[in-house]
Amino acid sequence: MIEDELLKWKFKAGGKEALQRIYEKYRDYLLILAMALVNDAGLAEDIVQDVFVTFAQSSGTFKLRGSLKSYLATCALNRCRDQLRARKRQPLSLDEDTLMQSDFDPPDKRMISDEQSRQVAGAMAQLPYEQREVIALHLNAAMKLRHIAGLQNVSVSTVKGRYRYGLQKLRSALNGRL
Amino acid sequence: MKPADEIENVVKKMSFKASPEMDKDLWAETSKARYEFRKTILAPGQQRIRRIIMKSSIVKLAAAAVIIVLVVLGLFEFIGTDSTSGVVWADVVRKVQASRGLIFRCTDLSPSNEDDYSIAYTSPTHCRKEFYKDGQIIRTCYVDFTASDTATLADVFHIHKLCVTTTYKKSENGLFLEWRDDWTNPSFLLQKILSAKHSKLGQKTIEGVLCEGIETTDPACFGPLPGQVDNLKAEFRLWVGVETGYPVLYESKMSGEYEGEVWELESVMDQFQWDVELDPDIFEPNIPPDYEELQSPGVVEL
Repeated sequence: MIEDELLKWKFKAGGKEALQRIYEKYRDYLLILAMALVNDAGLAEDIVQDVFVTFAQSSGTFKLRGSLKSYLATCALNRCRDQLRARKRQPLSLDEDTLMQSDFDPPDKRMISDEQSRQVAGAMAQLPYEQREVIALHLNAAMKLRHIAGLQNVSVSTVKGRYRYGLQKLRSALNGRL
Repeated sequence: MKPADEIENVVKKMSFKASPEMDKDLWAETSKARYEFRKTILAPGQQRIRRIIMKSSIVKLAAAAVIIVLVVLGLFEFIGTDSTSGVVWADVVRKVQASRGLIFRCTDLSPSNEDDYSIAYTSPTHCRKEFYKDGQIIRTCYVDFTASDTATLADVFHIHKLCVTTTYKKSENGLFLEWRDDWTNPSFLLQKILSAKHSKLGQKTIEGVLCEGIETTDPACFGPLPGQVDNLKAEFRLWVGVETGYPVLYESKMSGEYEGEVWELESVMDQFQWDVELDPDIFEPNIPPDYEELQSPGVVEL
C-alpha cells in the first residue's frame, strides 16, 4: 500500500516512471477483471487500454484519495458496463453446448491464458451480469462485498445473494469440467 | 459438485496476461496519451501538488488512532478527583500534561495495515514515529511543530529509499489532517478533552502492573474528523496504572464510512514511557545520501 501511495504522489507530480510502474503493476490485473466481466479478448484489451489512456491524461485532475487498485478496477468496471450496454449483450442461457464455447474461438494470441481460465471465463459469461460482476469484483479484483454494494447501489445482503447464487451456478456449470 | 471454496479458488486463479505484442501496444498508447496531454494541456508547474500524505488511507487511520488517544485521555478530566478507586483521574491528566517526553508502541491490527507496529517518540515540539515490519524499520516520520504558522513532515520510506517532505500551513479547523498539536503536545490534549458516557472496567493486572480501566462507545470521542463520516462506531478501553497514575494500555476499535469507502480500525497502544528526557537530535530527519528526496513545492494549505 505504501508503494501505491508513493506511485500516486509521483504520478501526480508528473513522473513517467510512476505511470509505467502503475501500468506494469496493474495491466494484467485489469485484463483478468475485464475478461471475467466481458469474456472477449479484444474488448478486454480495448477496455484496459482505455483505462490507462484516460488515467495517463488525468494527472492534473487525479484525486489522490483512496486505493489506486480500487480506483483502476472501478474505471475498468465502468467501461465494461458501457461496452456491454452499447452492445446490448444479453446473458446466454446456461447451455451445455454453449458453455464450452468462448470468444477465444479462434484464440486470440495477443492474450496469454490457459484452458482452465478460458473455461472459467466462459462459464462466468453465462451468469446474469449482476452476479458475474459481484464474483469478478470480489474474487478477481479483491473488493469487499460492502464496496461492491456501493458500486451496484444495492444493499450488502443483495450483493451476498448475488454472490451466492452466482457461485452456485458456476459450480454446477463447471462441475466435472475442470 | 465442487465445494464453494474450490470454485472460489478456481475463479481467483483465472489468469490472463498480455502478450509481448499487446503489452507493447498498450504501453505505447498509454505513453503517447501522457506525452500529448502534458505537451498540449498541462503546462509545467501548473499543477498544485496537493498533499497526499495525510490523504492516504494509512495515515488517515494512523491519525484517527492519534485522535483516539487524545479523546480517550480527555475522558479522565470529567471523571473527577473524588473517585473511590485507586486511580485519581484528574491527577492522570495533570501528569500526562506535565510529561516532557513520551515513548510508546502502537500496533495497528487493521487488515489493510502494512507494518507490524510503530514506535513513537514525542515532545511538545516534535514527533518521530518509526514503523517496523518483520523486525526491520520500513518508514520513519519526523514532524516539526516549532514554527508558529507551519508544520513540516518528513516521511522517509526506507524500502523505496525515498524521503517526501511537506510543509503544512496550520489552521484551527484542519486539526485532524494536519497531525499537529496532538499526541506531541500534552497541553493540547487537555484543551481537547471531551466528555463521554463511560463505564468502569474495574482492576486487572497488565504485564505485572495493577491497572484500572474505563471504556466508552461514544463516537464523539473521535473528535475532529476529515469530513462526513457515516455509521461511526467506536469502542475504546483504557487502562491506567494504579501506582504510577499513567496510561498503560489503549484498546481501540472503530469503523465508519468515508467518501463511499468503509474503513475499520483496530489498534493497541502500549509500552508507554512517560516523562522521559528525549535527545533533541532524534527529531532531526536522518536521510541517507542515496535516498531520493521529494519536496512538495510551497506551503500546503488545507
